[in-house]
Amino acid sequence: MFSSINNRISQVHLTSDVKQTIVAMLGVTFGISMYIFMTGFMSGVNDTQADLAFSALAHVRIYNDGPADNSNIARKVFPDDIINVRNAKVIKYTDGIKNSTTILSTLAKQKDITGYTSQVNINVFFKNAGNKVNGIVSGVDVLNEDKVYGSSKHMIQGNWNELKYRSDGLFVGVELARILGLKMNDNVNILTSDGVSHNYKVIGIFRTDVSSVDKTKAYVAINAARQLLGVNQDYVTDIQIDMVDYNNTQPLIDNIKSLIPYKVESWQMGNQQLVAGSSLRDTIARAVSLTILLVAGFGIYNIMNMTINQKIREIAILKAMGFSGSDVTKIFLTQAIIIGILGGCVGMVLGYIISRLVNRVKFEIAGMYHLPMTYYPHNYLLAFAFGLITTFIAGYLPAHKASKIDPVSILRG
Amino acid sequence: MNDIILKADNIIKYFYEPEKFQVLKGISFEVKKGEFLALVGKSGCGKSTLMYVLSTMDTDYEGSLTIKDTVLTKQSQNELAAFRNENIGFVFQFHYLLPEFSALENVMIPALKLKRYSRAEIEEKAYKNLEMLGLKDQALKRVTKLSGGQQQRVAIARALINDPAVIMGDEPTGNLDTANTQIVFDIFRELARERNQTIIAVTHDDDFAKNCDRIIEMKDGQMV
Repeated sequence: MFSSINNRISQVHLTSDVKQTIVAMLGVTFGISMYIFMTGFMSGVNDTQADLAFSALAHVRIYNDGPADNSNIARKVFPDDIINVRNAKVIKYTDGIKNSTTILSTLAKQKDITGYTSQVNINVFFKNAGNKVNGIVSGVDVLNEDKVYGSSKHMIQGNWNELKYRSDGLFVGVELARILGLKMNDNVNILTSDGVSHNYKVIGIFRTDVSSVDKTKAYVAINAARQLLGVNQDYVTDIQIDMVDYNNTQPLIDNIKSLIPYKVESWQMGNQQLVAGSSLRDTIARAVSLTILLVAGFGIYNIMNMTINQKIREIAILKAMGFSGSDVTKIFLTQAIIIGILGGCVGMVLGYIISRLVNRVKFEIAGMYHLPMTYYPHNYLLAFAFGLITTFIAGYLPAHKASKIDPVSILRG
Repeated sequence: MNDIILKADNIIKYFYEPEKFQVLKGISFEVKKGEFLALVGKSGCGKSTLMYVLSTMDTDYEGSLTIKDTVLTKQSQNELAAFRNENIGFVFQFHYLLPEFSALENVMIPALKLKRYSRAEIEEKAYKNLEMLGLKDQALKRVTKLSGGQQQRVAIARALINDPAVIMGDEPTGNLDTANTQIVFDIFRELARERNQTIIAVTHDDDFAKNCDRIIEMKDGQMV
């Protein structure tokens, strides 16, 4: 019953010393707002990092990893004997992925995939007048490439979809263009490792803000790349896959591994440093915010303890008048929980305001304009829940102590 | 109907601090309904200790205690708290009111805890009690704004609110001047006589004791 005498006493205690109530509340507020800010900021950083990374990286990649090392076959038969094969070589019988159509139809049946694209990547020399730079020409499936990488938004000159219609067209990275002295509609010569040379026209320039890409990469239509290599329509070197949840790539890999005779690799396998970075940031954010909440909890604990010491005589009177130990616990726990709820609500608002303010701080590096920030509701709810749990524990301990007070020793004085 | 409202049988109690010491050495007595009883004796004779045992707040004793035909010895703290709420009213030497509440709320709290009547009925009864004690005008004031004598009368009104079987006073007039002592005594006297209210008061005020129905004098933990 909300209007019970216990609640009335809690209410009077809270309102008779408003200053103290507010101080206790601010402890929770501060803890929760910092928690919200920290987690919002950290997940903002992680999301930005992921965006940056995934502008040049798919979630899962299928490629030809070369054959196993069978150069010393004799050792397999006579493992204990000394066998010396001179100048043994690993011979690559296949290059790239030959039967891409069947693989793509396998992928089409998988769920959790948001998009996939095939690429023909070729190591080449870019030549313009006297300048020679080595790099990669990526023959891309124009529509799907954009779906997986969002490539069209990186274009600073030219139109992404135009690549589809121009078999002689080429997009170059902004840095590569600078090094080669290329402008729109200039011609550039490309030389493959097999000695094939071909001229393309620059019809677009892109900037991904990943400098290794901007310095070395160029796009052509996938069929133009196949022509350059002299291969058939089924040939690709890479199939890149995007998933619904990039943190959850393993099930898909387990699913398709046995169906596909090529290397299937998740971004986590290929980029351990990114995984480590993001999970370390998460850990730091959690550690810092939980520490703040813990400190806030100690604040509440202290204030509740102080309140109870101040009111020790009143507690004795209440017990003399017939209030049980659990009544006393309820009275003080109710106060702590009200402080927790009020502090938590204000904390969520304050956390949001702090996040908004920090989100406005200028930060112009790697394609960002402001410090990154996220506003996921689940972070707010989690912060509120943690705040409540903290206040509950911090309030319960002193309240329980209060319930154990022996009225005789207090009243006899 | 049994006329005996409180029965103490061979109450023995020890203090363990600073060393083991027997405070109560087998106290047995009975109190009739409507009796106004004074517990007297020198400082340290155990009269207050006895009263706290009788009040059910102190449970660390041997012997048995019965109030209103209920054996209270060995009951749990929560059962005793509920029993106190319904059957025992307290008036202490230092009024011991809740300072953050008004006089009226202080009087109402034990009844709100008991929940035998609705809030409106309790409020009406609290007003009536305060009126009887001449405090109707002070009802809505915070108790800290009242004088010592007024505060003690609020405490009496609070003790009466649940129509308890026994009112217990620990030096109820110990902190009051002569005039207020007289007022409080008269109230007790009247309650015992007219309302048939049982009252047990610890006092070292001889005048106060002399006018009670019965005096139990204690010396070194025994009744004299």
